[in-house]
Amino acid sequence: MQKHITQQNLNTLLDTLIKEGKRVVAPRLNAGTPLYEPLTSSAEMITDQLPKRSGKEAFFPLCEDIMSYEKEGQQIKLTDIDPARFPETVLVGVRPCDAAAIPVLDAVFSWDYKDEFFLERRNKTTVVGVACTTADDACFCTAVGLSPSDTKGSDLFLTPLEGGGYHCETQSEKGEALINSHQELFSEPNGSKTVPLARPQTEKFDLEKVKKWLDEHFEDPAWDSIATRCVGCGACAFVCPACHCFDIVDEGTEKSGKRRKNWDACGFWKFTHHASGHNPRDGQPKRYRNRIMHKFKYYDDKFGQTLCTGCGRCIRLCPVGIDIAQIVEELNKK
Amino acid sequence: MTQAIDTTIYAAVSEAIQGEAQRILSAGEVTAIVGYATARRKGSAQPIVITNADDAQKLIFTPACVNNLAVYLTKAKKEIPKQGKIGIVVKGCDLKALAGLMGESQLKREQLYLIGVPCAGVLASTIQPDTQLTADTIAPKCTECDAHLPQGCDFVPAQTPVTPELEKKYAAEIARLEALTPKERWAYWKEQFSKCIKCYACRQVCPFCFCEQCLCDRNKPQMVDTTPRPAGNTAWHIVRAMHLAGRCAGCAECERVCPMDIPLNLLNRKMAKELKELYDYEAGFQVNENGPLNSYTEKDDQSFIK
Ligand code: SF4
Ligand code: SF4
Ligand code: SF4
Ligand code: SF4
Ligand code: SF4
Repeated sequence: MQKHITQQNLNTLLDTLIKEGKRVVAPRLNAGTPLYEPLTSSAEMITDQLPKRSGKEAFFPLCEDIMSYEKEGQQIKLTDIDPARFPETVLVGVRPCDAAAIPVLDAVFSWDYKDEFFLERRNKTTVVGVACTTADDACFCTAVGLSPSDTKGSDLFLTPLEGGGYHCETQSEKGEALINSHQELFSEPNGSKTVPLARPQTEKFDLEKVKKWLDEHFEDPAWDSIATRCVGCGACAFVCPACHCFDIVDEGTEKSGKRRKNWDACGFWKFTHHASGHNPRDGQPKRYRNRIMHKFKYYDDKFGQTLCTGCGRCIRLCPVGIDIAQIVEELNKK
Repeated sequence: MTQAIDTTIYAAVSEAIQGEAQRILSAGEVTAIVGYATARRKGSAQPIVITNADDAQKLIFTPACVNNLAVYLTKAKKEIPKQGKIGIVVKGCDLKALAGLMGESQLKREQLYLIGVPCAGVLASTIQPDTQLTADTIAPKCTECDAHLPQGCDFVPAQTPVTPELEKKYAAEIARLEALTPKERWAYWKEQFSKCIKCYACRQVCPFCFCEQCLCDRNKPQMVDTTPRPAGNTAWHIVRAMHLAGRCAGCAECERVCPMDIPLNLLNRKMAKELKELYDYEAGFQVNENGPLNSYTEKDDQSFIK
């Protein structure tokens, strides 16, 4: 289904959804920092900046309670979280590189174990993607087979129109349902042209060739030259739309507390630190190797997908300028 | 039109660094040099370790050379081999960190070959490295810098940086925060800390965060909540600020790398201000083995003991 919507009607749509009690998550500023966060009004939404963190947290929050405990005398009471209480959500203004990561995450969260925290939120969310009109030299969606107009992961996809408003194209039943529920706000396409889209400059990678090299070079001097300077933080994994590792901790007192799940990162030395004190990844090159291997080999081996959508966030935010696009480009030439 | 900062000397500075690096590596005076090199993105720079004289021509100095390379010489960075004498390219602010590390017996002067940089300033952020250096884009620390020309180095290129008077950005912001009521100030920091994702980039780049196991990483016993929630975030920020008080050299790397734009150096600057007032202490080029919070004199302020 193809429709048009004016900016004003899009705002009305979001405000109506909020009034209906839906959680509307979109890019907004939090103390000056652009993030995907629940809106209280459509006026908060921003469209000109890529959020610093990705859209994944609509399904996979930075931190969430997964259980609580209370102890009284010898009695221990455990209370589960009831995922049925997760709110219906519309995730709006999602960039193609963020939206494309969602089906990538679906694979791992519904594999041998069905992660109901992720899947329940996922089922209850309609994803409204939007085409990119600007890109910088850290963007490389086109190099990993996506593009500024890629609809992967979106239920409804918006493309900005010359003179304001958006062209809307449904990608799934959820997208159609969203339009049908508020039909009066949409109009038939009227011939207005869409604006020119961004053109990331990185050349397309031969991902099969890259994978083949990775298949054969677990041990290679390249890892040292790539990542000796890595300082071992969580920045690259935490801003990534596709990274999905988490840690589980208990927090509270002897009497009561919560079991919590929060993001983890393979850049941390503690990530593979064994109780014995041994650490099989005993240095940043080995940890960073895991990042590349997981993204361009292991995930492909297991799920037939690449664990990177080329959003460029880790490139922009790495404290020491480690540039995953440059690395893969170089592996591509080997 | 914002005021541009003159960085024309950086080309000559880069050339001088290359020449000296070439010389000391070929003469075997050092085993390795930690410096900056260009990277893929336009205008970008990245830390590099070179061991071969042929690689000396890779070294550069530009407004994107933001990193404090001192972090690579600490015991926390085991990946960098520390045999023999190591060369390092240092801006004045980075040199203060090295002096601090020497004062804490982490490094010895004779193990280092210091290549000082005459520096007019670097960018506040390299998210978009191809950015002109102006009064708006310059790192706030550079607006208050007293270390444009590092001293006590083994080599410093001959150029003199042009350093116009700029609005002192931290001083202005600290004055604004000091004028708030404690309640308003707490609201400000609560909002800032709420953005923290516990990526620990701030800790990992800090030359003084060299503890082999950070208190905040411990789980036997668990000292601080590790989750990025109000309790754990507040605890982390207090631990970080307090453990660096009297040690922080003011490089502002923690603030630069924070992916959530939390103005961490304001906390450091405020601590530095208190230390100046209480103990007349300031981070500088001199090696000081008696840090303000590591030593006691009878003249120390006792007024807090009631
Ligand atoms: S690896 Fe980097 S570029 Fe790729 S999706 Fe993750 S953050 Fe984006
Ligand atoms: S790259 Fe690292 S942090 Fe990201 S999902 Fe893989 S193992 Fe986890
Ligand atoms: S690659 Fe960069 S962002 Fe990732 S862990 Fe290393 S230093 Fe941190
Ligand atoms: S606390 Fe921040 S400003 Fe101070 S030395 Fe560490 S990284 Fe530099
Ligand atoms: S770098 Fe920023 S987000 Fe990361 S732990 Fe430090 S303060 Fe928190």
